Amino acid sequence: MADKVPSEFDVVVIGTGLPESIVAAACSRSGQSVLHVDSRSYYGGNWASFSFSGLLSWIKEYQEESDGDEWAAWQELLLEAEEGVALRKKDQTIQHVEVIRYASQDSDEHVEEVGAVQKNPAPVTSASSNDPPDSTGTACSDTSELTAPLNEPETSQEVPDVDVTLGNESHGGDTDCTESPLEQEKAENVPVGEAVVDVPKKNRITYSQIVKEGRRFNIDLTSKLLYSRGLLIDLLIKSSVSRYAEFKNVTRILGYREGTVLQVPCSRADVFNSKQLTMVEKRMLMKFLTFCLDYEQQPEDYKAYEECPFSEYLKTQKLTPSLQHFVLHSIAMTSEGCTGTLDGLRETQNFLRCLGRYGNTPFLFPLYGQGELPQCFCRMCAVFGGTYCLSHAVQCLVVDKESGKCKAIIDHFGQRISAKYFIVEDSYLTEKTCSDVAYRQMSRAVLITDRSVLKAESDQQISILTVPPVEPGSAAVRVIELCSSTMTCMKGTYLVHLTCPSSKKTAREDLESVVQKLFTPYAEAELENEEVEKPNLLWALYFNMRDSSGINRDSYNDLPSNVYVCSGPDCFLGNKNAVQQAETLFRHILPNEEFCPPPPNPEDIVFDGDGMQPEVPAPKPEAAEDVTSQGDAEEHSEE
Amino acid sequence: MRRPLPVSEGESAGGGQLAQELLPGARMDEDVLTTLKILIIGESGVGKSSLLLRFTDDTFDPELAATIGVDFKVKTISVDGNKAKLAIWDTAGQERFRTLTPSYYRGAQGVILVYDVTRRDTFVKLDNWLNELETYCTRNDIVKMLVGNKIDKEYREVDRNEGLKFARKHSMLFIEASAKTCDGVQCAFEELVEKIIQTPGLWESENQNKGVRLSHREESHGGACGGYCSML
Repeated sequence: MADKVPSEFDVVVIGTGLPESIVAAACSRSGQSVLHVDSRSYYGGNWASFSFSGLLSWIKEYQEESDGDEWAAWQELLLEAEEGVALRKKDQTIQHVEVIRYASQDSDEHVEEVGAVQKNPAPVTSASSNDPPDSTGTACSDTSELTAPLNEPETSQEVPDVDVTLGNESHGGDTDCTESPLEQEKAENVPVGEAVVDVPKKNRITYSQIVKEGRRFNIDLTSKLLYSRGLLIDLLIKSSVSRYAEFKNVTRILGYREGTVLQVPCSRADVFNSKQLTMVEKRMLMKFLTFCLDYEQQPEDYKAYEECPFSEYLKTQKLTPSLQHFVLHSIAMTSEGCTGTLDGLRETQNFLRCLGRYGNTPFLFPLYGQGELPQCFCRMCAVFGGTYCLSHAVQCLVVDKESGKCKAIIDHFGQRISAKYFIVEDSYLTEKTCSDVAYRQMSRAVLITDRSVLKAESDQQISILTVPPVEPGSAAVRVIELCSSTMTCMKGTYLVHLTCPSSKKTAREDLESVVQKLFTPYAEAELENEEVEKPNLLWALYFNMRDSSGINRDSYNDLPSNVYVCSGPDCFLGNKNAVQQAETLFRHILPNEEFCPPPPNPEDIVFDGDGMQPEVPAPKPEAAEDVTSQGDAEEHSEE
Repeated sequence: MRRPLPVSEGESAGGGQLAQELLPGARMDEDVLTTLKILIIGESGVGKSSLLLRFTDDTFDPELAATIGVDFKVKTISVDGNKAKLAIWDTAGQERFRTLTPSYYRGAQGVILVYDVTRRDTFVKLDNWLNELETYCTRNDIVKMLVGNKIDKEYREVDRNEGLKFARKHSMLFIEASAKTCDGVQCAFEELVEKIIQTPGLWESENQNKGVRLSHREESHGGACGGYCSML
């Protein structure tokens, strides 16, 4: 690449996670020149999604010993009136990475991911020296559980074609609102717990197949969903960034009670069709939920319980224990004891309000994974002139001693790039800067399984399941199960994400008990009858991720006033925190500008021969209408 | 005008008939058969945006700055009597430091891979672009058109046969073109679309497994989708 990065910008953004990407897009959209860099070879940081081979490379990177955290000689690049704030060379936010391979490998040959010619998780093909080489053979080498080295020559392949095992891919989970509501409800409200799907036997997915079809996986490091009336959805629509992404509706809300996975009735039809609920229960539930929708109107109903935990309040509401359980864990998604009545009611109301906007549950999931979202904002930034560099590390921030302000960065080539504002993702800061910060941790598990935790007529279900804590005081575990039509896993498999705030030392200690409740390790299943109840576990990954959300700016040492910090992903289900952070930072930098206003119709953006910024005419009336009117505004161009 | 050379043999012009039997895409615009996502990729400075603007707006600006501000352009064209609406996506300049987002490639049915016949380095880099395509394209049967641009210039580093050979090796369509003189531009897009329409399963299936697209439009439908709200 002959091109050299220009040496002057208005805003430099370091890190391509969701909040940073939103700020970058917002600044660029408002006419600021933006340089957006990431030291990693892929977009998204801890918000990224990977193909299977990409994930193995990522794992390997974190299992290797760190080769020194600090840059060597950056001080020499400073001038007399300057001092520097060093940035971190290697990311330290991921710990306790453990991989367990359950599925057997049964191919004679060394298997490679089809299409992964570059063997690199990066979207870039440049030869970047710090990219880890992808080696499926060594990525998991440190786990005791491995039954065999991955490259071991094996026996013949049992199932030559994955498609055979599946039958037709059904799209029953697809929520196309052009269907009449009635039909849709019918299609989606499948009787619970009945083995309707006649899965052909001998459909064992092997590890070789997973590796070979690795490109079909888009495995999220951070597992979240979008609330259909949440801040992120609103922002995507308002800014038209939504044109770069597609979504699927989550099809089921599941609950876990007394050792069984059950579907939580989630719409009126769900409630009335439910076979788990008695007629009386149905009436009680509907009455309570109707109340929750505008609980503020009837304060007398809950006033006396404001100081109590929500779970106590629920006990007074003429709800049976199982209904209390569902409302508490699966609808309000709060935990026993810790959540007050008001918070619980607010969460329940939020859930109910989000129902029905795009489908039968309150949640959307982005096709191809959560990792698409930062990229969509990055594209918006680029369309308005933002410059992008991946695999581009920054050694330090250069601070002018006199003003105390940051005036430039020095990148890994030693190049100085100056700017007025700097946005840095938390993980780039060194221990010195963060010595007073108390970070929390979250525990994550990623599983590949061979069927859903709850069988249904259609095998294409997207489910969220909350598993309540076993011991009081510990946290509930959020489980999101994705089917292949979300474009995040190969046909015949499910991708399961588990998330909870860490309480024990490692993610595996936090999550393995839940995994054991819901799944059977592949090898054990082989010994048992074919008709095992639980899905088979083919592959598992555990890791801890730093939760750097909610940290006060003052906790960081020596931050110049024009340097702003974005946090990594938090533990919550939604993306509220990312959007709020981005908007707050944007308002600091450009207090008089609108945050991510609707862009003009792409057809109207014209070239400007000499400036860096495209000349943007005022949005045409119909372009604006798209986002302001509630009704039948035409969508532009992309359809 | 040059005709692009279909590289695979035995293609007939029967695509039109096939296309007419399958009309799911026609619900948007009465007479538009389908909407296709087309990408333009290739090294910086090979003339991607110029080709795009020549095709969609029939303009050419020799002083065009490095791409900024071009998201995508929409144009409806007619091939073999079938109207297809093309959404042609530009790189937004993100290829400059090799940072195109994987999401750029999602769901594309066709790609125009451009090199500059006066710069061998842009031809040599084609392999990298093919790798990237292979890694991120969501379908295996995406139709590829190789375009050698800037043939109006007298100086040349890559001759036509080299381009043709490369295209043949990688099962791509091939044409040489000039965004400046307009030579070959229309043809490049038309042939690409024709091939896409002739490829079974490439564009019809787009109407299945569709995700939700966000806009306020869904809201009016969505309200009736069975939430608690609808009954109150």
